[in-house]
Amino acid sequence: MQFNRKKEITMTTQRMFILSLIVSSVALSFCPALFAAGKLNVVATTTALADIADEIAQDKIRVTAIASPKQNIHHYAPTPKDVLKVKKADVLIHEGLDLEAWREPLLAAAGNMRFLGEGQYSMDVSQGVPLLEIPTSLSRAEGDIHAFGNPHYISDPENAKIIATNIAEGLANVEPENADFFRKNAETFNQKLDEKIKNWKVRLAPFKGAPVVVYHRSWSYFAKEFDLVIVGEIEPKPGIPPTAKHLAEVLQIIREKKVKVIIKEPFEETRTPKKISDETGAQVVTLSQSVGEPKEAKDYISLMEQNITSLEAAFAREGGK
Amino acid sequence: MSLIGTAWAEPIAGPNLAQDVSDLKRMMAAMESNVEVLKSTVRAQNEIIERQNYRIETFEKKQISLPSSAVAAPQTPASAKTFLQGKFNPDIGVVGTTQAKLTQNKADVDGNNTIALKELEVNFSGVVDPYSRLDAVLALNDNLESQNVDIEEAYYTRWGLPFGFTTQLGKFRADIGKENLLHSHQLQTVDYPLVIRDFFGEEGLSSSGARLKNSIPNPWDLPLEITGEVLRGNNGNSFSGISRRPIFNTHLKTFFEPSQDTNLELGWTTMFGDENPSRTIMVDAGTGTGTLVATSYTPPEGQDRYGVKVFGGDATFNWFLPEGKKVMCQNELYFQNRGNVAQINNDPWGFYSLLDYKFSEKFSTGVRFDYLNPLDVEGGHGTTSVSPYFIFWQSEFADAKLQYSHTVSAGGEKTDNAAFFVVDFMIGAHKHAVQ
Repeated sequence: MQFNRKKEITMTTQRMFILSLIVSSVALSFCPALFAAGKLNVVATTTALADIADEIAQDKIRVTAIASPKQNIHHYAPTPKDVLKVKKADVLIHEGLDLEAWREPLLAAAGNMRFLGEGQYSMDVSQGVPLLEIPTSLSRAEGDIHAFGNPHYISDPENAKIIATNIAEGLANVEPENADFFRKNAETFNQKLDEKIKNWKVRLAPFKGAPVVVYHRSWSYFAKEFDLVIVGEIEPKPGIPPTAKHLAEVLQIIREKKVKVIIKEPFEETRTPKKISDETGAQVVTLSQSVGEPKEAKDYISLMEQNITSLEAAFAREGGK
Repeated sequence: MSLIGTAWAEPIAGPNLAQDVSDLKRMMAAMESNVEVLKSTVRAQNEIIERQNYRIETFEKKQISLPSSAVAAPQTPASAKTFLQGKFNPDIGVVGTTQAKLTQNKADVDGNNTIALKELEVNFSGVVDPYSRLDAVLALNDNLESQNVDIEEAYYTRWGLPFGFTTQLGKFRADIGKENLLHSHQLQTVDYPLVIRDFFGEEGLSSSGARLKNSIPNPWDLPLEITGEVLRGNNGNSFSGISRRPIFNTHLKTFFEPSQDTNLELGWTTMFGDENPSRTIMVDAGTGTGTLVATSYTPPEGQDRYGVKVFGGDATFNWFLPEGKKVMCQNELYFQNRGNVAQINNDPWGFYSLLDYKFSEKFSTGVRFDYLNPLDVEGGHGTTSVSPYFIFWQSEFADAKLQYSHTVSAGGEKTDNAAFFVVDFMIGAHKHAVQ
């Protein structure tokens, strides 16, 4: 009797296993019906890209971002929710250049065939951006360097214009019937940026050539655009946490070059910059490259506005450059 | 030069000679300066050429990856073709783990009071074709008795199956809870939790087989991922059966974001498999209890068929704090229902709770609490262990872990204190699969 009961249980379990797979398959066969939507489903790796895409495509797409604006873009760990987003997406927009080191594992987990390789549905918006700091040799002795060049180009609003054009052209390829709409919106966005850039340059003009120290090598494009000179980094090499010996060197640089401002991002620790600030009097200013961090930065333009205002205030507190 | 020639050709009076020598010195200095400028110009030009070559190479690579309909085939010289062929090589990475351990355990076995290379993992990965990829991890072990090479994972992933299914074929770490999916260097602690080690083996359960996974659509747009696996039967401590009776495993997981700074992942594992007992049963040395079953014991045909069932739940909570700080609380609970007498304990169970706090870019600390009612001990005498640890993140590619473990087993009669120091280091390409 016991033998028969056990056999029965075993068979039931086997059947349940097979049944669960069948049920899943049948449920999934209704997937297109459940999620059918007229709008293009776009996923952007960062909140800044998502915002620019939204400006260009407006109600023609449904756009979501992957990486949280509060976290370091290099070290973001994709979640099951991100896997689902990518799985269901029609278009993926990314910054390329190894900025999102987690992109490849995420694409592998999602298994959305549209984004394998570099087809029209996977948009690398770095195309045409004049890159800085392209390494002449690759070695981890130089820290976490990026083979194709510094990937933090979105910090320069001039590059945001290239990004906008790339997104418009990319979306135009996917939806040719809306091509004019996308291109017109990109143009409007770029014109808005042009006006803003003029204003930002005027506001930062009194600090032209001012030496600054940055936490990570993520402000090179911004500094070039607004004529600031980066004279040191708190990280001894990109992605390598600061050491006491290196900090001594940074302190010396700050004193020698009369640095007034130290730039960090929200996810970078405050303790070390504050310690340097306490010893040298240089102001620590937190700038961001992610829309939504801080909360007031609701779009790319207000993000940059926030950055310029913070920087201007920091220089002003120190009485100019 | 003409000035020098003139100087040698005609004898010059004293004051003029001094003047000429002075002029010559000035000219030499100017020439030296010019040479230095030229040198630096050449250096800068070389750098630009190198950068341009690098970009050209990148563009060529991108053009090659585009569909033939999109771009006309470039006229690439044969030498360049040979060079670019190297770009199709798989990503290769190496991860080493060295472990030092001090323990009260007097047994002269591998790992006790020694420092040794625990493992060297060599991983390869790359896209096979537009539909699939291959990932492989070979582990080289420097064991006391013998050095050996294990295939830790080697699996082929095929995307784009009907209804959005993805399949993986080969050998892989079974989709059980959270920690079993991780390689040892990915763990916060230096070892796997007691319940994983006891139920699935010292390094968790990694087995040959096939895996099918997908997301279940739902009206709430909630991530609901289901995985089904058929694994080779003679794997892990729980399933010591024969190969032709596979282990079936299913894992269901979901994910919530209660706020912008927090997330919660919940999972459920159901496994069933076979145990064909041809093994010696351990009797609890501490209590002397337990039933010794002869190694030749064979249950009646069918009695133990898929008689081992393992159920488990896992819950992981992440809380992202400002400035890159993070708190993680991870828990896994497993229990078994065994329908045979191959192990003394027919209802073993165990769990662990891990609390981890990354308080700076460089440092993490945490503690893991383990409880285990093991497979081979009868009488409800569980084993408990507390393991506080500290991690130093030197960089993204190297870290050092310090851990102390206090373990009490057999109802408090046996205790062990152990200290571990582990250094992980990696080179080359190394990207972890999304968990």
